[in-house]
Amino acid sequence: MQQSLSGKAKTRPLTPANVTVGRRRWSERGYALLFLGPSLALLAVFIFWPMLKTLYMSFFLTDKFGHITVFNGLGNYRSLLQDASYWASLGATLSYVAVVAVLTIVLGLILAVAAQQQLKGIGFFKTLFSSTMGISVSVAAIFWLFAFNPSVGVFAQLSQALHLPEINWLADPHFALLAIIITTVWMNLGFTFLILFGALQQVPRSLYDAADVAGVAKRTQFLKVTLPMISPTLFFVTTVTLIDAFKSFGLIDLMTAGGPSNATNLLVYRVYQDAFLNGSYAQASTESVVLTLLIAVVTLVQFKLFGKRVTY
Amino acid sequence: MAVKLETRLWWCWLSGLLLIVTLTFGLGTTAYGAGRTKIVFWHEMTGPAQAQLMTDAKAFNASQSKYEVVPEFEGSYNEAVQKILHTHGTSAAPALFQSMDVSTAQLYHANVATPVQKFIDADHYDVSQISSVARAFYSQNGKQISMPFNTSQPVLYYNASLLKRLGIKAPPVNPTYSDITRVAKAITAKSNGKVKGLTVEVYGWLFEQFMANGNTVMANQNNGRSGYPTTVDFTSTATQKAMAWIRENIQAKDFIDFGAGSQAESNEIAAFLAGKLGMFVQSSAYISQLLAGTKDQLGITYYPHADGTKANGVSIGGASLWIANSQPKNVQQGAWQFIKYVMTPQAQAAWQKATGYLALNQKSQHQAILKQLYAKQPVAKVPSEQLAAATANPANSGIFMEGLLQERTLTQTAMATIYNGGNITSALKTAETSMNQYLANNNRANQYTNH
Repeated sequence: MQQSLSGKAKTRPLTPANVTVGRRRWSERGYALLFLGPSLALLAVFIFWPMLKTLYMSFFLTDKFGHITVFNGLGNYRSLLQDASYWASLGATLSYVAVVAVLTIVLGLILAVAAQQQLKGIGFFKTLFSSTMGISVSVAAIFWLFAFNPSVGVFAQLSQALHLPEINWLADPHFALLAIIITTVWMNLGFTFLILFGALQQVPRSLYDAADVAGVAKRTQFLKVTLPMISPTLFFVTTVTLIDAFKSFGLIDLMTAGGPSNATNLLVYRVYQDAFLNGSYAQASTESVVLTLLIAVVTLVQFKLFGKRVTY
Repeated sequence: MAVKLETRLWWCWLSGLLLIVTLTFGLGTTAYGAGRTKIVFWHEMTGPAQAQLMTDAKAFNASQSKYEVVPEFEGSYNEAVQKILHTHGTSAAPALFQSMDVSTAQLYHANVATPVQKFIDADHYDVSQISSVARAFYSQNGKQISMPFNTSQPVLYYNASLLKRLGIKAPPVNPTYSDITRVAKAITAKSNGKVKGLTVEVYGWLFEQFMANGNTVMANQNNGRSGYPTTVDFTSTATQKAMAWIRENIQAKDFIDFGAGSQAESNEIAAFLAGKLGMFVQSSAYISQLLAGTKDQLGITYYPHADGTKANGVSIGGASLWIANSQPKNVQQGAWQFIKYVMTPQAQAAWQKATGYLALNQKSQHQAILKQLYAKQPVAKVPSEQLAAATANPANSGIFMEGLLQERTLTQTAMATIYNGGNITSALKTAETSMNQYLANNNRANQYTNH
């Protein structure tokens, strides 16, 4: 290698002008491939291939082993779109995602701002606010299941003591989704709080000092200084929360298993049920494709709408 | 710095490696050396049932020197079915596996097992000692395809002490819907609404039992016993009556709804043990937990049936044992020997005492271990009596149909709708239409046709 390079250099000196563009491109590509190859191969085997296979399967029917048997064209998509319970799942998912995202971020921000105040014992609250980060889904589920128990739970006893109407949180289709939302927000809050609190700490004090000198009201300071300064973090937190909410699974599986009356049968849970309980792999593939498109659209809209307002 | 960081890292690395090596080889080695045929046994038992199963495997291994049963826990029933199907014929596949009731038709059609009938015939094994309702559940065309194992039946539990305190007459041992309604209403009225009378979990298995006890088949083709089912009947008189009965109790405000799934079960048990719930229907497998959990006296009756009809008897729930057909002959033989071992009167009696599942060997009832249990807790006998009282027929021998998990999801959706005030017939009809669509799709996908 060294030999041939130096050999060439003798006959034609290496100057930028006479190194052919195509040649440089080839060697750059070669290097790129060398470095990216391993991860590309892994992605191809574990991500791209399953994705394509899922898309392919959605046009067929599968037997109990998951083997493709009969071509079904757009039949799976058609029956999915004609299924009233699928539309109910879709509606439930969208409202779940929207409410969870808004509540998590607003509450997380409020807690983060509160924790910034220089008060005695604030360290205790900081620990308390971020503590749900260390709690696993199963522990949270058990804790909340007990709280929601209609006969011995905390909420039932409270409403009995206060003579309020008793709510059957997990068995009433009108409240089950709300119960899951409360639990999810509670679970997510620790992470959101911690990230937003970190971002608030990064805002230079000098900006607030300058604003104080200029006589800017505290509320205006928050809107004109704080929010723009933490906007990249807010954007990140929103994206993560939205995608996470779409993928919610654990709490639903442990608390309601999709019921009552499909009220909490969110899209991802449906995919799981169809594939791993009912063995309808083609149906589950179809639902996965639709869900992927949906998440892509929502993320795109989010980037278009809010991406421009982010100040880096 | 006393110890260099690098050295410490090396130590970490080494001890980690050592741990992995010990775990793989330490746990991998078995109590017996070479010379024995290994029988890998996949099961899904947890808690006391798992412990008892280990005891059985150990005792079996000690009782002979040809085979060694190696039990391996495979997670939930649902996950296990998929694992069994997807590993079949590979080196990862087990020799013997436990699979849940609702997977029976699916596994039979997948042709992954040697019917135990083959071994029964070769051994002239007296199969009549095993409960006929349980056997019928896992039979097709007169052949035993797998051996019923952990088996339960739904029963009605009531708090006998509570009824006594409130001065309410206990329900009869084979109650009708109106018997239960009377007690439920009385409980709520006499406790001033502090105690709810009744709950019926939103559970497809219980829905199926209303049909079985009402002598009604759910799927056509004789509940799948004479061909691949193509339609189901969720709107039968039996189901309408059962749903109307529950609706009546809901309207009388003596009923409490805990929803569906494992959370519903733990919530209803918590309520029952706390004295906030008077009666509930549930699997007989909870009996040990209930006896241990409260000082109140426990009452048990048969599963309720509609007024003016005779109870047909309920079907069973639980799981059975299958012998994989991909294994060599001697391995299959070993699996069969183990099945015979766990079905002995002694093993079955010990199984019932330890787990709450029913002893399927009828001779178990004369074993000292069960006699002692019944002397101490006479109600513990009721589930076994209910099982023995029924004669197997297509309605109470289980539904031989693929997609029973889908059926349960759909009937549970219908039940939840009805519990929350929806129209009974239209809720059932919606579920029925979806299930028929599923069946059409599934039959097409698996290329099933009836001749």
